Amino acid sequence: MENINDLKPQPKYWMSLEQWTQDPEFLKMAENEFLSSPLSSEDGKDGWARREFLKLMGASLALTTFGCVRRPAEKIIPYAKRPVEVVPGIPDYYASSYFDGAEGLGIVVQTREGRPIKIEGNTEHPANEGGMSARAHAHILKLYDPDRATGPLKNLQNEKKTNNQTVNITWDKLDQEVVEQLKKGKVAFLTATIASPATKELIQSFASQVGGKTYEMDEIPYEAVREGQKLSYGDDVVPQYRIDKAKYILAVNNDFIGTWLTPVAFQKMFSKTRNPDENMSKLTVVESLLSLTGSNADERFRIKPSQTLDFLMGLAYQLNNVMKVGGATANADILSALKEYAQVDARLGLKEGTIARIAEEIAHHRGESLVLSGGMTTGGKDAVAIQVVTNLINSILGNEGTTVLAGAPLNTARGSYKQVSDLMKAIKDKSVETLIIYGVNPTYALPEASGFQEALRNVPVVIYAGDRKDETGFQADYIPTVHHELENWGDLETSQGVFSLQQPTIQPLYDTRSFQDSLLAWAKGLGKKSARLGSENWHEYLKSYWKSEIYPKVSKAGTFDNFWVDSLKSGVVNLAKKDSSHRSFKAASFSTFKKRDAVPEMELVLYPTVGLRSGELANVSWMQEFPDPVTKLVWDNYFTFSIGDAKKLKLSQGRMVSVKVNGQTIEGPAHIQPGQAEGVVGLAVGYGRTRGGKVCDGVGINAFNLAQPDGDQLLTAGFKAEVTPLSKRYDLATTQGHNTMEGRQIVVEETLAQFMKKPGGQIHHPKMMTMWSEHKYPGRKWAMTIDLNKCTGCSACLTACQSENNIPTVGKKYVLQGREMHWLRIDRYYTGEPEDAGVVNQPIVCMHCDNAPCETVCPVAATTHSDEGTNDMIYNRCVGTRYCSNNCPYKVRRFNWFSYTDVKQPLNLAMNPEVTVRNRGVMEKCTFCIHRIKFEESQAKMHDRELKDGDVKTACQESCPTNAIIFGNINDPNSEVAKRFKQPMMYDLLEELNTKPSVRYHTKVRNAAQIKSHGKEEHNT
Amino acid sequence: MMHRTPLILGKKTYKDISDDICALVERFPSPRFMLGLAGAQFLFLIFVLVQGAIVFKGLGLMGVSHPVGWATDIVTFVFWIGIGHAGTLISAILFLFRQKWRTSIARTAEAMTVFAVMTAGLFPILHVGRPWLAYWLLPYPNQRGPLWVNFRSPLIWDVFAVSTYATVSIVFWYVGMVPDFATVRDRAKNIWRKRIYGLLSLGWRGTAHDWNHYEMVYMLLAGLATPLVLSVHSIVSFDFAVSSLPGWHTTIFPPYFVAGAIFSGFGMCITLMTIFRALVPTIKDYITMEHLDVMNRIILATGMMVGYSYGSEFFVAWYSGVEYEQYMILNRALGPLNYSYWTMVTCNVLIPQIFWFRKMRRNLWVMFIVSIFVNIGMWFERFVITVTSLHRDFLPSNWGMFHFTMFDFGALFGSFGLFLTLFLLYLRVLPSVSIAEVKPVSKVGYEGGEHGHH
Repeated sequence: MENINDLKPQPKYWMSLEQWTQDPEFLKMAENEFLSSPLSSEDGKDGWARREFLKLMGASLALTTFGCVRRPAEKIIPYAKRPVEVVPGIPDYYASSYFDGAEGLGIVVQTREGRPIKIEGNTEHPANEGGMSARAHAHILKLYDPDRATGPLKNLQNEKKTNNQTVNITWDKLDQEVVEQLKKGKVAFLTATIASPATKELIQSFASQVGGKTYEMDEIPYEAVREGQKLSYGDDVVPQYRIDKAKYILAVNNDFIGTWLTPVAFQKMFSKTRNPDENMSKLTVVESLLSLTGSNADERFRIKPSQTLDFLMGLAYQLNNVMKVGGATANADILSALKEYAQVDARLGLKEGTIARIAEEIAHHRGESLVLSGGMTTGGKDAVAIQVVTNLINSILGNEGTTVLAGAPLNTARGSYKQVSDLMKAIKDKSVETLIIYGVNPTYALPEASGFQEALRNVPVVIYAGDRKDETGFQADYIPTVHHELENWGDLETSQGVFSLQQPTIQPLYDTRSFQDSLLAWAKGLGKKSARLGSENWHEYLKSYWKSEIYPKVSKAGTFDNFWVDSLKSGVVNLAKKDSSHRSFKAASFSTFKKRDAVPEMELVLYPTVGLRSGELANVSWMQEFPDPVTKLVWDNYFTFSIGDAKKLKLSQGRMVSVKVNGQTIEGPAHIQPGQAEGVVGLAVGYGRTRGGKVCDGVGINAFNLAQPDGDQLLTAGFKAEVTPLSKRYDLATTQGHNTMEGRQIVVEETLAQFMKKPGGQIHHPKMMTMWSEHKYPGRKWAMTIDLNKCTGCSACLTACQSENNIPTVGKKYVLQGREMHWLRIDRYYTGEPEDAGVVNQPIVCMHCDNAPCETVCPVAATTHSDEGTNDMIYNRCVGTRYCSNNCPYKVRRFNWFSYTDVKQPLNLAMNPEVTVRNRGVMEKCTFCIHRIKFEESQAKMHDRELKDGDVKTACQESCPTNAIIFGNINDPNSEVAKRFKQPMMYDLLEELNTKPSVRYHTKVRNAAQIKSHGKEEHNT
Repeated sequence: MMHRTPLILGKKTYKDISDDICALVERFPSPRFMLGLAGAQFLFLIFVLVQGAIVFKGLGLMGVSHPVGWATDIVTFVFWIGIGHAGTLISAILFLFRQKWRTSIARTAEAMTVFAVMTAGLFPILHVGRPWLAYWLLPYPNQRGPLWVNFRSPLIWDVFAVSTYATVSIVFWYVGMVPDFATVRDRAKNIWRKRIYGLLSLGWRGTAHDWNHYEMVYMLLAGLATPLVLSVHSIVSFDFAVSSLPGWHTTIFPPYFVAGAIFSGFGMCITLMTIFRALVPTIKDYITMEHLDVMNRIILATGMMVGYSYGSEFFVAWYSGVEYEQYMILNRALGPLNYSYWTMVTCNVLIPQIFWFRKMRRNLWVMFIVSIFVNIGMWFERFVITVTSLHRDFLPSNWGMFHFTMFDFGALFGSFGLFLTLFLLYLRVLPSVSIAEVKPVSKVGYEGGEHGHH
């Protein structure tokens, strides 16, 4: 090294030897302002230098804020109350619509501080008149489902569309890429039945603009109904079945109360015919599995699904050929076609003369009877034939034009498997470049045997407008994540001429966009501006649609703006005309039918459940923990076996079985179902999701995968099944411990004849005496009556209560220990012989006893009696001794074994702020919706008026489609509940305990010759 | 001349008695004892962990569920409360009846009472949903209104009954020990030992004055404790009897519970005495075969009393004509939890019948095994009452099952850890046989033992 002192020139102050020595490299470096570059480093290794980073940060911050302009104001109008703005503490109600895939309901969404917390029925909607289904209630929890996708997604698919990595994508980028793709043409749409007329028009016009085709499918198929109507009458319709006008209803493998088409509306109508008087209808059910309809039957017969056609043919034979009812008798084709069904009773395992007797009874009610048939359980090869015979019988009986009306048909069930197979053909022909899927989850709901999943892999680009990356989403290339219905505008046409609007009740929670807005954006990108496609957004489009399509049909509507506001307020525009259709049966269609279904020794049928239906709400825990109205099982699907078959196969409850069907072998637990026909195995659809979310994935078996394509039909029943019991056992969780009443007076049943003679004559009243003076109720006293005669057991009230009262779900593990939290439960008891069991249902709420056993035993006075007759629970005083629950004869109390309130975000938004969430270690129970009572009381006080009867409605009462629950002030002699309470057919549950409940039950009246046995012994008066 | 079998064996002088009994407190414990204590503490550790987890996570960890709102915690509570009864019976009632044979076992029986009540007392607190608020069951002045407890609730009566019982038992036990503390104090060589026992002996000097006051207080306390033997378990039985549940709602419960309590108490007494004799051989002279024989006779008698109660339940169910009662009793015997019923009958009614034979009453192994069965049987008796009544009551839809979890077992066995730890520590630090009471009943000074008799 050189002597450093020799080097020159030397600065006075130096900071390194290099500077002091004037090293050239140092000098070069010193020319820069900073020793290291603030920009990207010279060698380019450091891609994100500080300054560049800051620059981008600033820019993106500016851009994000720039992008954050408020959405354009879209005015929505509160339903009944009209606050200027949202008033904290006061709920707002918005009329809206809900479509569950087959049934449209008018709903009212209750919001608190701008977030929807509960869905109630719209009493002004003619379809459901305020009635609700459990699923419609649960729909709200799907809004807050933590597993929803939070923004648009793009799947980076490999060639085979199996290995997919999902990336977030911006809407702009997605639109740009989708528009590029759409420019290639050959666009196909696969959607559910679109019941929204505006959406339907939008899709149609978009499709025609881009030269695409639309296909519709229903996850739960109803195509046989339409097909049957087409063949019988030449109309491609789903007629209105006016059950309310029927005095005799025959349901043949048809679950119209539980799952078929529009059960809420059907129940509403059915309940109107069930007043126990001389006009009371009779419901005869002939079915294979025990359905909710079957459990409400006055008389019930069991046949195998594949025998449905035989039964109906036999009935038609009796009516047509033997009794010669109606005008079809002369037709030679029909006469001869029916001939071979002269003696089918024995073949069907029915008592000789049963069909003749049914024919006799139903012929008695010509023009005011109704035969309903079909559903998934008869989705065999005869499905359409079954519909045609049913139509024939209805025509013979003169029901066409009275109880079957096609003038204003239901706007539902347009989908068919034929369209799916057409789509698959189109894909095969390479005539689909882009497939847009909306409203259905075909990858899940179609069996692999259909080849759909494979076909989907051959579509160059699949766009799935869903709310998450579910089964179909996994196979898609783009997921333009859609709003939940409660975040979106829309409309609904339940049946021809009955329109309702759907309004958003919350700002979208996530970066989602309605499907309709996506279509409009893409149309814009494609430069298609014709007709309404040029609309600014979906809201504009909808308004424009209503202005041109619906508004003109309304007379005396005032200006459009007024009309629009009024429609939003009331939620419904009823333009239905009086339906006076009358069609004649096309006899020619009839003779071509031959029975095609074989009758295997053991046949498997698929069926939808009341709780899950096709599984679209599978990730909503309420619905997984929803006790099936018939089996009372939760968190699973299972193979159902009749008692006879279980004996034969040596099965016990929960035993695993292996079922071989259509070349597939599936293992699953066995459930032994009283009242099920022998030779039938049932399996519910809607379970076995694989990508639905954390709640539903892996729960149960995907029964859809067992369906079989048969030409243009997708068979869902009549499969030959080979059952092998396995040695393994499986725990099936039930919410009901025991299924018979053991002869105790719990549900009192009487026949209509008994009731007419002496209402309540079957009730056994014990002699009661007391040493104590009774409670005084100087002001109001709240009470409830539950009409077991009207109650169908549909369990909508159970979910309504769950939604209203922030009731948590606990999961299968804890249901097995009996720790479900439902405040309202529906007890279902079997009556009669187990093989041919009858069913009674009994909703149980807290009885709010006058002499409440729970109150005396609580050591800390945490449960006390109010002077209005309610039994109040003081959560923050409760220490959790559980003595109250032990002493409650009705066992309506629920204990917080763990902390159930720490729910995952954003599920907490679904909580009703009026109802306390309960701490770990405290007892809870039905409160008679005390918060509603108090709210109405303060409202009355504020307006300086008395509370009127009907002001306070409990959540269960409000949701009941059959109005079986009446609530009110019993001290007001004019109140509905007071009038009912003292009637002779009302009784207290466990009256002998002298608890004096504030809930009374109306006896169950059967329009039948006799009542099935209730257990070991009967009470006699 | 006929004369009774001596109550104390081994021809003890007064010094021998003092030496023998104080030795336990004075000498360093044997390895056998240390091993026993380690075992007890291991169980105790389980108890702490199990209860800690329950308080931290929630009661849901236990098998208790809907509709079985009360299960092993309450069963174990009643079980331990019952255990306590034998101690009070031996020390108070037998004292009042001047049963001299009680003297050598009274102290230990009473210690058993105190520790059993202490163990029992934890369970009602730990079984509630929010144990940190369990003090709300006490009627104390407060700023919530004031908000009082619900005096109609049997659980409040229970709080009073158990706390009174615990207080009286502890005081009675302590007062009885005062002269013996003085003995230990006087023998002490270590200054701290002298001071501690001196403090505990409350300045006892052994004067006639002291003895006069002492005997008076002891008798009064015995009189005070005597009704408690009957009242505590009667009130505990009200927890059940006052409710409306079939299987609980019965008038036979108070005497039935008391008989059962004495039965189980003597059972536990035999268990502990046989262990005590095995661990400390010198004690055999004080707790003799005679004592054990007498206790076994009581087990036989009370065992038949509970057997009678079981029978009467069947009768009442039939006689009442109440379908729920009838179903309940059949369900106990034949339902899904029938194992508990038949365990109860076998252990409590059938097995003690062996004590009709004198030879069996005086066989240590037989009585040890029988006493264990009695303990098991009495635990199951409370299980039968609590759980089988709850699991199937009025509305069949509510019926459920009870399934044990690890935490149920942990709490039950762990509670033995707590009890045994306390008991073993007691053996080391407190005079476990009443020196002051044993000396008067020994034959020193008169008769001069067998060889003095010509």
